[in-house]
Amino acid sequence: MNSGGANVRRPALARPTARLEWLRFDQVVMAAAVICLVILVVLPLCSLFIGSIRTPDGLSFAFFREAASGRLYRQALINSLILGAWTGLFSVLIGVPLAWAISRTNVPAKPFIRVTATLSYLSPPFLTAIAFVNLFSPNAGVINHLMREEFGVTWLTFNIFSMKGLVLVTVLHTFPFVYLLAVTALQSVDASYEEAAEILGAGKWRTAFSITAPLVAPAILSGTLIAFVNSIALFGSQAIIGLPGRIFTLSTRIYSLFDYPPQYGLASALSLVFIFITVAALFIQRRFLARRSFVTFGGKGSRPQLIDLGSARWGLFGFAVLVFVVAILLPYASLIAVSLSKSWGLAFWKNLTLANYKFVLFDYDVTQRAIINSLILATLAATLSIALGTVIGWIDLRTSVPGRRLLDYAALIPLGLPGIVMAVALIQFWLAMPIALYGTLVILLLAYTGRYVPLGLRAANSSLRQIDPTLEESARILGASWGVTMREVTLPLIRPGLFAGWLLIFVPAIQELSASILLFSSKSITLAVAVYNLYETGYTEPVAALAIINVIIISLAILLANRLGGERERERLEYRPA
Amino acid sequence: MAGVTLSGVSKTYSQAGLPAINDLNLEIRDGQFVTLLGPSGCGKTTTLRLIAGYMAPDAGTIHVGERLVSSKDTLILPEHRGMGMVFQNYAVWPHKTVFQNVVFGLKLRKVPASKAREGVEQALALVGLSGYENRLPNELSGGQQQRVALARSIVVEPEILLLDEPLSNLDAKLREHMRSELKQLQRRIGITFIYVTHDQAEALALSDQIAVIHEGCLQQFGPPREVYNRPVNRTVADFMGNVNLLEGKVLSSDGRKGEILIAGRLRTVAALPAGIQAGAAIDVALRPENIELKRLENASAASGTVVDHTFLGNISEYQVALDNQRLRVQTHPSANIALGDAVEISFAPDTMSVFAHTDPAR
Ligand SMILES: Nc1ncnc2c1ncn2[C@@H]1O[C@H](COP(=O)(O)OP(=O)(O)O)[C@@H](O)[C@H]1O
Ligand SMILES: [Mg+2]
Repeated sequence: MNSGGANVRRPALARPTARLEWLRFDQVVMAAAVICLVILVVLPLCSLFIGSIRTPDGLSFAFFREAASGRLYRQALINSLILGAWTGLFSVLIGVPLAWAISRTNVPAKPFIRVTATLSYLSPPFLTAIAFVNLFSPNAGVINHLMREEFGVTWLTFNIFSMKGLVLVTVLHTFPFVYLLAVTALQSVDASYEEAAEILGAGKWRTAFSITAPLVAPAILSGTLIAFVNSIALFGSQAIIGLPGRIFTLSTRIYSLFDYPPQYGLASALSLVFIFITVAALFIQRRFLARRSFVTFGGKGSRPQLIDLGSARWGLFGFAVLVFVVAILLPYASLIAVSLSKSWGLAFWKNLTLANYKFVLFDYDVTQRAIINSLILATLAATLSIALGTVIGWIDLRTSVPGRRLLDYAALIPLGLPGIVMAVALIQFWLAMPIALYGTLVILLLAYTGRYVPLGLRAANSSLRQIDPTLEESARILGASWGVTMREVTLPLIRPGLFAGWLLIFVPAIQELSASILLFSSKSITLAVAVYNLYETGYTEPVAALAIINVIIISLAILLANRLGGERERERLEYRPA
Repeated sequence: MAGVTLSGVSKTYSQAGLPAINDLNLEIRDGQFVTLLGPSGCGKTTTLRLIAGYMAPDAGTIHVGERLVSSKDTLILPEHRGMGMVFQNYAVWPHKTVFQNVVFGLKLRKVPASKAREGVEQALALVGLSGYENRLPNELSGGQQQRVALARSIVVEPEILLLDEPLSNLDAKLREHMRSELKQLQRRIGITFIYVTHDQAEALALSDQIAVIHEGCLQQFGPPREVYNRPVNRTVADFMGNVNLLEGKVLSSDGRKGEILIAGRLRTVAALPAGIQAGAAIDVALRPENIELKRLENASAASGTVVDHTFLGNISEYQVALDNQRLRVQTHPSANIALGDAVEISFAPDTMSVFAHTDPAR
């Protein structure tokens, strides 16, 4: 501050004046977000409740009684629970060793293990299922054929159309949940806990079991429950593997209730049973997660020392390679092989052709429409979910509006709604409305946006938490309205986090099957539904071609999004408060 | 032009909790440098945020000039108050350059680009940051970020500038430097400064008026000298720098003055606060620099004994034992008094403050 004039006070600048106070932009936006959430989630859920108790003879629990007493429905419930339990168990058996290897040992090729987990997570589960059918269906599966006919080892054949097969296909998609949570927990355990144990004379292995394991157990259990919930909600693999094996689950039972004549009431009741299970699991999971807090409080603690496994590290590496082969290499290599063959079988390589690609891309008139629909839907749904999540997150973190916690919970409800249940709820609600949405892209958009709002909220929430409210407040006092503050300060600062969240929604949205399967029409068909329909019709080779096209589109979209987002990411500058 | 008047303002954050601010009355005149002073958690930031309009009070009103800006039911939004605020963490936008940070408010006021550029240059010159226009905040030191925050606030020529502990994150030397520059700045632009700090030295050095706040309640509001020399209660006396708080007793009283006995040893006549009668227990506040010591040969006539001595360069500090109480005394370092000496204590009675006795444990 060097010397200036004696008094540099100029005539005061125009002061921003008070505008209409009764219709404030921020209040309009917040109200709109609340209304959206009500329409997307709350009302459909309410009509699901009503639909489940409104029987031809007045309100009653008849549908629930039928769901509980019918052998078919009880069996479906039991199958879902068995599937979830086995999947949870095997997710731990695969996820935890990999997580431990990555974060605590000197296992070789760590990037390879990370990529394996990421690809398994991103890979559309119904494609894995289709690939495994090509390999292990009892008669036509090439590996079964090879074992039986060529080698004569019948006991080495594997019937994919069984609970074992279903668990195998599902777990390849769910183990990353356990893996990711376990890695995070293992990396955040302050090494000083372990060092303290070692100073007290405990060996490395003993420390691992007596100190580290209890500290990360809540995270692992929490990941297991998420794997459980996700596994029972996956419609695709349960339909592709379960139906031929006559293993009905809740998802596929609900689906078959929509065969003509549709039984809406029973479907609603069964959906509510389904919700009860997922919500109960997620509730327990939150409790575990809450107890996890003590793991992270080391925070800045020193990095954990890596355990030298000696030659045992090659064993662990071999395990990772096995996971890679089963989860990625086998399915995708076989899908590519099938897609290029004239007729799938042991001698497929004798007649390679691109005809299948030509067929699905140009002759099968559904494909192009499905690709365009899915791209539009995924883009819009990701954008809307993020926008909605941002406003709701902002209300929760930055205002003192009464009921904001309730809003937060409402936005998290869809976590407990399997896709097919979401679809049933939307059908129930919109069939009762005077607007004909059923069978349009709009109802699909509503389903997707509703499903992914929790992911949008999570992305917005964690980004908003990282920027200090005073950054917004200092814009306000300078005369910026709420809208200008959001545009100039808040959104630019949370953009990287929102973008990452957008991608995390876009990827599952473009391969969404569980809700789409009940909501599509020939006009609004999506990519995943097109694959499933083609599969059901029995076109083995074209299905593989379409599946590969599907994967290429997803990869291109991720690449493109990453390129765009990556540039912005580089612009991002870290805020260093003084 | 723009004074700020708080009448009966209260604010409680949670239903069950204690009020963060309780029945606060404050009249801040235009162009003054007013400091809200108090320990951490006493409600200073809350008061500032209420004045800025980030939240509404539970009770009471806030006027800027004649205009009602806050009450339980009315809340003029911060963007319509024409104030500026410098936050404790500066809140400089990390994604904008120094220029973009400072020009933000001018853009909102639709100032033409050339005039805005001029305004930014002037403001940056004022805070000594000319030439830093294109830097990003993460390329600046804490002190420089603080100046950017200041420039950003004054460039729009607010009528009132609110500052929340703006110097608390700076190191001691920079803090002293910025302190004098803030005062000069305020004199030069002549607007109302409402300044929050927990540092009494800062408050004394900067302010025209100091509002001492304790546990959400205003204790005293007045010029620095008055608050320092005439604290209205034990809390204020205790908070405003070094002080000896001694227990005593009123021997006789004529209503306004009376004879008192301090620490069972010192007898003197002092002005008494209203309502204190003969026989009442009192607290006496006595600043260490207002006490004089004289060495005595005859220990029985002495008032106390020197039990500790610290040489601090520009002053000497002594601890004198009086019965079971200790007295802290600061003298010129040339005083020839040593450990164990019997001393006589004297002070001008009008440098002493007397309060009704309160339990210090409270
Ligand atoms: N957002 C808040 N929610 C709940 N309590 C708060 C909040 N902000 C401040 N308080 C409480 O109000 C009291 C006054 O806080 P504050 O005004 O920040 O004090 P100061 O700025 O003087 O340190 C403190 O007891 C503090 O814990
Ligand atoms: Mg404060």
